[in-house]
Amino acid sequence: MKTGIFICHCGHNIKHTIDVKKVSEYFKKFPSVTVSEDYPFVCSEPGQDMIRDSIEKQGLDRVIIASCTPSLHGEMFKDLLKKSGLNPFLLRRVSIREHCSWVGDDVEANTEKAKRLILAGLYSAAHYVPLEEKLVDVTKSALIIGGGVSGLSAAAFLSKMGMQVYLVEKEAELGGHVRTLKNIWPARKEGKSIVDEMVNELSGRKNVEIFTSTTISAFEGFFGNYQVTLNTPEGEKKLTAGGVIASIGFSPFDPGIKPELNYGKDERIITTLDFEKNGDAIKLPGKPRIAILHCVGSRDEQIGKPYCSRVCCINALRVAEAVKDKYKDSYVESFYMDVRAHPRGGEEYFEDTQEKGVLFTRANVAEISPTPAGIVIRGEDTLFSETFEREFDLVVLSIGMSPPIDNKLIASLLKITLDKDKFFLEAHIKLRPFDTAVKGIFIAGSCSGPKDVEESINHGRASAVKLFGFLNLGYAYVDPFISYVDPKRCSGCRMCEQACVAKAIKYDETKRVVHVEEAACMGCGLCNATCPSSAIGLKGYIDCMIDDEISAFLEAI
Amino acid sequence: MGEAKKKDGVEIVGFACSFCTFKASEMAGSLRMKYPEGVKLVQVPCSSRVDPAFVIKAIFEGADGVFVAGCHPGDCHFIKGNYYTRRKIAALKEMFDAFSMKEKLRLFWVSAAEARRFVEKVTDMHNELKERKNEREKA
Repeated sequence: MKTGIFICHCGHNIKHTIDVKKVSEYFKKFPSVTVSEDYPFVCSEPGQDMIRDSIEKQGLDRVIIASCTPSLHGEMFKDLLKKSGLNPFLLRRVSIREHCSWVGDDVEANTEKAKRLILAGLYSAAHYVPLEEKLVDVTKSALIIGGGVSGLSAAAFLSKMGMQVYLVEKEAELGGHVRTLKNIWPARKEGKSIVDEMVNELSGRKNVEIFTSTTISAFEGFFGNYQVTLNTPEGEKKLTAGGVIASIGFSPFDPGIKPELNYGKDERIITTLDFEKNGDAIKLPGKPRIAILHCVGSRDEQIGKPYCSRVCCINALRVAEAVKDKYKDSYVESFYMDVRAHPRGGEEYFEDTQEKGVLFTRANVAEISPTPAGIVIRGEDTLFSETFEREFDLVVLSIGMSPPIDNKLIASLLKITLDKDKFFLEAHIKLRPFDTAVKGIFIAGSCSGPKDVEESINHGRASAVKLFGFLNLGYAYVDPFISYVDPKRCSGCRMCEQACVAKAIKYDETKRVVHVEEAACMGCGLCNATCPSSAIGLKGYIDCMIDDEISAFLEAI
Repeated sequence: MGEAKKKDGVEIVGFACSFCTFKASEMAGSLRMKYPEGVKLVQVPCSSRVDPAFVIKAIFEGADGVFVAGCHPGDCHFIKGNYYTRRKIAALKEMFDAFSMKEKLRLFWVSAAEARRFVEKVTDMHNELKERKNEREKA
């Protein structure tokens, strides 16, 4: 066996806590190791060329790359092996960055750990066999959950590209929260007109099916062929979707859970959304005094919402501007922590609002108490370190975004994960911001974290492009990590048949052994762990690989 | 690695599900959280892939502790693999208990987002095993 070990420095990321030279020297003395090199950036072009050269010149039959975590650059290194004429499943990635150099500070201990992690890779890779990727047919259709702006923009793109689109919306009307907004900054357009434009685009297309007032009752299957059961007003409907975009949006923060704000107890305490809906109908005196509170339901550790909701500062500025434009002699005071008017043009808008005479006070508001004469706000001015008490005619709470109410339901249906704030978690925050950990399921819009309208539309479109790239070929390769049966060892006890969740194991009455239906196997390995005669193995994770990995960790080989 | 070094460290072998715990451990690394070097992970496609024989093998070969970590109940990518794991590990724990080494085996659930929980769980396990090891050495 000729194994090549390539250890990445990752600039200083790995090198600073692992003695890479020592590790590469250590592996040179192994008889099965032909090449053991360390290199500053294995993922760079010269680094890849080095691996390719070694494979071609030295005739390597196993490649071990000790670098970042396997999910990063995984496909790239697989392609490299393919180009070099080696089966991509003879590659072993060892994570010595995320699992070693970044989690410990002691150089000596980390070097030992890295050695053993690579050793485990080496022993395990010795059992690798060339595998062929499984080709599966992909249904060219997409299910979009949620008909807000992000879902609509995703649907518009996918349908334009000729893909069958199923758009599912819980409410009776499409458009989500944007439909209710009257003046969307910076376009200064009515939300309804933005939504209607998108809905009109969709309604003329034959390949779009829109289900309103519909929920999803069941979701099964795998990438390329998800079986979805919808609960429509006309009854149950089953369909097959190749991929899914979850764009279920957000729910507005309910200030009722903060009792000191007294929201809902007096009609003079409203939220930015209430102001948006019927701001014109509010009766105010000729010279009104208006208070606006920033960061209600955002950046608040106490109620478990430490994140910035990104849109509420602009919403607060819009309220301030609207009041100032209508009542020239009004007194508008904005209580803020700090103003994060970050979309393009936001800072200028903030300055313009200040010039219009809106007063900005950096403050912690302790209490809002309604009295018959006016609403009294008590708090602390954090720039002057003084307490204050002022009376207003109207208080507007600039509420943030909370995770959607259906987040848990959709997450458990689609088997995707929620992050610590209970929004959907992306596969990688920078490299794969549209994907989830599940292949073929994407997220779009504010269900993956607070976003404004522009960002949501972009996010929806980007997810649609990614999904289109997955589905357009009509076929896809999936990992060949499925189970196989050694009929000579199988005793026909049928324990695996009972255990298999996917019902992929079938018993042959004449031969008295079981066999695996490859198309149905999900590759969980439960049968492998269940079989008392070790007759079933999960390709890529067979018993001897894991056994040897354990031995290498504990140096018992 | 000399024998001397091996004695003072606590060695823990962890079986981590690719879909959740392994992802959480990646995240813990990216966030530069620290946990003891003795913790080493075996990546498995699902926690149900863990044969109790692996756990026993690890203990036989000198691991101070073994943990199996998977997705929270109901979140399994393979629908109900982690329920099987729960039963298997419960039975195995009984056996470990008979040999009065119950503390050497742990099962916990960590989702892909819970990097902090992962670090807390492994550090906690490491500390407890270390304490016990020190006590034994004193005795």
